[in-house]
Amino acid sequence: MRGIQLPLSQTQKVRLQKTLEQLESLSSKVNSDASVIIADSIPVNHEDGVLKGHGTADLNGEVVATVCGVVERVNKLVYVRSLRSRYKPEVGDIVIGRVAEVAQKRWRLDINFNQDAVLMLSSMNMPDGVQRRRTALDELNMRCIFEENDVVCAEVRGFQHDGLHLQARSRKYGKLYRGQLLTVPPYLVKRQKQHFHHLEEFGIDLILGCNGFIWVGEHIEAKDDMVEDQVSQSDPQVLLHNSASLEEQERNYTILETRKYICRAANAVRVLSILGFNITLEIIKGIIDLSLSMNLDIHEMLGSEFCVLVAEKEAERRSSNKKKR
Amino acid sequence: MQIEGIVTQQPTMGSLKRKSPEEPSTSSSRPLHDCVHHVSYPPGYTHPSSPPTQTHAEPAKKFPFTLDPFQSQAITCLENGESVMVSAHTSAGKTVVASYAIAMSLRDGQRVIYTSPIKALSNQKYREFKEEFSDVGLMTGDVTIDPNASCLVMTTEIWRSMQYRGSEITREVAWIVFDEVHYMRDRERGVVWEESIVLSPKNSRFVFLSATVPNAKEFADWVAKVHKQPCHVVYTDYRPTPLQHYIFPSGGDGLYLVVDDKGKFREDSFQKSLNALVPTTEGDKRKGNGKRQKGLVLGRAGEESDIFKMVKMIIQRQYDPVILFSFSKRECELLAMQMAKMDLNGDNEKDNIEQIFNSAMDMLSDDDKKLPQARYFLNLVSNMLPLLKRGIGVHHSGLLPILKEVIEILFQEGLIKCLFATETFSIGLNMPAKTVVFTNVQKFDGDKFRWISSGEYIQMSGRAGRRGIDERGICILMVDEKMEPSTAKNMVKGAADSLNSAFHLSYNTILNQMRCEDGDPEKLIRNSFFQFQADRAIPDLEKQIKLLEKERESIVIEEENSLKDYFNLLEQHRNLNKEVRDIVLSPRHCLPFLQPGRLVSLDFTSSDEDLTPVFIEDQLTWGLVINFERVKSASDDDASVKPEDASYNVDVLTRCVVKKDKIGKKSIKIVPLKEAGEPLVVSVPISQINSISSLRLFIPKDLLPLEARENTLKKVLETLSRFGDKGLPLLDPEEDMKIQSSSYKKASRRIEALESLFEKHEIAKSPLLKQKLKVLQRKHELTAKIKSIKKTLRSSTVLAFKDELKARKRVLRRLGYVTSDNVVELKGKVACEISSADELTLTELMFNGVFKDIKVEEMVSLLSCFVWQEKIQDAAKPREELDLLFMQLQDTARRVAQLQLECKVEIDVESFVKSFRPDIMEAVYSWAKGSKFYEIMEITQVFEGSLIRAIRRLEEVLQQLIAAANSIGETQLEAKFEEAVSMIKRDIVFAASLYL
Repeated sequence: MRGIQLPLSQTQKVRLQKTLEQLESLSSKVNSDASVIIADSIPVNHEDGVLKGHGTADLNGEVVATVCGVVERVNKLVYVRSLRSRYKPEVGDIVIGRVAEVAQKRWRLDINFNQDAVLMLSSMNMPDGVQRRRTALDELNMRCIFEENDVVCAEVRGFQHDGLHLQARSRKYGKLYRGQLLTVPPYLVKRQKQHFHHLEEFGIDLILGCNGFIWVGEHIEAKDDMVEDQVSQSDPQVLLHNSASLEEQERNYTILETRKYICRAANAVRVLSILGFNITLEIIKGIIDLSLSMNLDIHEMLGSEFCVLVAEKEAERRSSNKKKR
Repeated sequence: MQIEGIVTQQPTMGSLKRKSPEEPSTSSSRPLHDCVHHVSYPPGYTHPSSPPTQTHAEPAKKFPFTLDPFQSQAITCLENGESVMVSAHTSAGKTVVASYAIAMSLRDGQRVIYTSPIKALSNQKYREFKEEFSDVGLMTGDVTIDPNASCLVMTTEIWRSMQYRGSEITREVAWIVFDEVHYMRDRERGVVWEESIVLSPKNSRFVFLSATVPNAKEFADWVAKVHKQPCHVVYTDYRPTPLQHYIFPSGGDGLYLVVDDKGKFREDSFQKSLNALVPTTEGDKRKGNGKRQKGLVLGRAGEESDIFKMVKMIIQRQYDPVILFSFSKRECELLAMQMAKMDLNGDNEKDNIEQIFNSAMDMLSDDDKKLPQARYFLNLVSNMLPLLKRGIGVHHSGLLPILKEVIEILFQEGLIKCLFATETFSIGLNMPAKTVVFTNVQKFDGDKFRWISSGEYIQMSGRAGRRGIDERGICILMVDEKMEPSTAKNMVKGAADSLNSAFHLSYNTILNQMRCEDGDPEKLIRNSFFQFQADRAIPDLEKQIKLLEKERESIVIEEENSLKDYFNLLEQHRNLNKEVRDIVLSPRHCLPFLQPGRLVSLDFTSSDEDLTPVFIEDQLTWGLVINFERVKSASDDDASVKPEDASYNVDVLTRCVVKKDKIGKKSIKIVPLKEAGEPLVVSVPISQINSISSLRLFIPKDLLPLEARENTLKKVLETLSRFGDKGLPLLDPEEDMKIQSSSYKKASRRIEALESLFEKHEIAKSPLLKQKLKVLQRKHELTAKIKSIKKTLRSSTVLAFKDELKARKRVLRRLGYVTSDNVVELKGKVACEISSADELTLTELMFNGVFKDIKVEEMVSLLSCFVWQEKIQDAAKPREELDLLFMQLQDTARRVAQLQLECKVEIDVESFVKSFRPDIMEAVYSWAKGSKFYEIMEITQVFEGSLIRAIRRLEEVLQQLIAAANSIGETQLEAKFEEAVSMIKRDIVFAASLYL
């Protein structure tokens, strides 16, 4: 119940309470002693020798936790995975950011981290798809690619001497448009094999950024490189036209149906965020289907009743999952 | 000057003055310049409707000479913006294509990457391109120069890791040049090329430079398919300078022309050369498979060694400069030592050499200059100079890198006339000589000696003939043992080796693929050349099956069914008979009856024929037992083995044919009594006895005289004829031998039943029974063959490596590198970064905290086990602390290997554990402690160059570990690794290349 702010009726409160208790009992017993708060001592076998990792410190020969979280052990390494923390980038993470500044040969992006990330012009595929060195002209035209406040999807490349660098490996990274950006606590998004999802039945794209920024938008087919290649052969002038036509596309009409689905998916994410549940594709899909089967309006999805229902469904799902195992 | 099969007179020692230059007598017609040009289109590719938009009137680069057709052909493809694979001999001038690609990219403001397999080669290419284009950078594991340049020269490994890690370069590179792409067939490193090509950006174009490979088209098809772009193949056999191949028989005294410059093989001349082989006398011959050291044996009693004669002759005929290839570093040096008496340079040249040498050596610190005072006199920097001054050089990977480079430079300047080199000299920069000599035709490839393959021969002989200087190149093969003409012909005239995939999966690759959002190891496998080739083999296999099936259909047998029936009966009968025989002839039963003089029948075709005979009766003969004895094997020395279970040999008197082969080894073959042969007592295993007769003959006491044996055999024959058709009475197993086992009774009863069936069988009376049965047997074999091909077909249609990938993923999950959802975890991220050493063992070691408590130099020393692969005989054990660490390493390695085995990855645990070698731990330890290089050379027994290479590789591993520690946020460990790097990265070991 902690921190869940919902106007609940008495029955709803009881139901939710019960569900949360059930969920707690379901969570793995193995790790129950592994959750620690600050200054808890972590039992280790000193004879084997330990490697103290993040969130631990040595206090009078005892290993103690310096953050609240779950103790993780990898061979001899002991570290504490903190529960509620700010986003901490790792190499290879998929993140979504908002352009904060257009600077020399680079964009600065707000990615919910304690510093802005850098996306170099050269780390971005050119809109014309040609492999070439970036020229001064390209630099002048940077705003044709992204301007301030654009929403951009990229991959964390790593820490360089001048900060955190991002890159866009392929064409599916880049500017996001015709959709909604949602902000959720970053710890609700777990790292997974796939962060890009295409929900075909609804015609929408879902990108779960590891930094807690989530994109829900109309599905856009990743452009075929080969076709692109023939369109223009490295003429900077063409570049301008190209981006102009991009804006034109942007003004293109998104059909109402799709727009509704986008909102539905967005609200599903919101519900999960309110409840503090992990956000995965499977669960989001489940919520959308639930709301559809109940014939709920989009706005009703944020009501207390639906939230409690989602919590109950989730508890049900997890317990059945557990039984299967 | 080339008379067929010339035999030169021995030049007299002492005067080595040159003869006046001879004029080539033949007006050689230049070989055809033609080249083959193909284009591979990806499936479903449509030509762009308009021709390439911009056609540059001006070529990006002009050459001061007319281009060969293959060069201009390739350049046209480049100008059209399409990938090209150039397959030509080393000397043909492939570099022209590469440098055009670079010029073109620079003109168009694009980046270009040039990758080569070897660091040294990268250095040389960097220098070459830097002079020409200036906007050139270099990235090898050792150095990075101007990584922001438009043209980047790098090793293929660097390019691969760059693509995994992501780099802006991957978005700016328009052309990628893969030099020596035939390296892809390298068992260990080949996979790097495959990965790099598959992972390369989709919009970039490729230039592949390769030695001649017969399946260049196949390779291009693959590239076209993977990258969905057309790929041209330009193939040429053309050599700017034609080659002549000679044979120099060992101990002989002349050259024999076996392939002339038109490429014709001369059989007669070849035969003559083999006849001239002076056989090594028995005394010289080393026992066993002793190392071939031909030419090393200094001539007996004042005679000169072959190699000396050879070089003398070459100099006299002005065939120099010459490269003499041998296949071991030590042999190289020993051969060079024998040239000590020669002097091939004038005073002027000597001064030049000294100057170059000294200025190069100035780069070294004073301590390093007096490098080592010990074992290989050639390695001494100080001793090398006199030899070089006389125009004689040595080049192999065991030399100090700097020395190696000096020698390369001297050779290019023409100051070295006679260079002893290993195979490594045959790849890379254009360093041709007039003549190439193969001091050996066999090479040790890790587990055995084998003939040089024709591909290797082509590669090495490619060094012969300098373009524009020599009329023709000369190749001399020193042959020391009889080789079949076909072997020689294959070697000299054979086709180039095919470019075959050496794809394999490493954990590093799998993890890197899994880590990235779009990555999927399965996709990589699907796109690999290996899979491509496997898929390609399918139609071929199907054809084979069809052919075989057709053949099977064509065999028509009358009354096939009843014949088959009969055949099965025969088969059963034979099996039962064998069963009975096994019981009867088990030592327990038959030993009491193997008294001297017992008549036994013997099998005499046990090994020669591979067709299982249908009728055993054909292969029986008779003999007399003389004695039997127990066979001693290593294991049954102890008394625990009961006499019944041991195996026995029986000495039997029978008729044999004795043959002696060339080596003098006798082979004895038993033949029927009536045929010609000697009566001999031979020892046969009991299993070769077919049956035991109840008769015993008297044998004379003394069988030594031939007559006595002959008479005895006559008696046997007499006895046989007395019994005539009925055959000799046999021992009855039940009555005479008292065998009462139930299995025997059962078997014998069934035999009786079967025999009665035979007689009743309708087909038994058929006159052609035997032939028919043979035909039927053939048919059965065909069926089996078809079955086995179908099996391979099935296995190649499914994804190759699929099972292995599964197993390896299982390993990663078990070790906690990835979660069950294939998300890469902490340990996996570490292993991702490690590509120059065994990633699993190293990561486990790291997470076991081994690196944490030990001193930095100990850590460096421990890591040296990961990079050292050479085996050293009787290397000293490292001191106790280090040995303890090494044992920890072995434990970890064993655990990792065991786990892999459990997860069904094919691995030999012990050999995996043994692949970590502690041999240079001490040396590296004291190097990290700050010792001078000559001091550590005194500790170990290895070549300087090898040690330097190991330490450089160690530094590479450390860099990867730094990146790994950084990526998981282990700052302390990172600092420790960084300290380690600073401790080992100094002085001669990391002396910059002269090419930079």
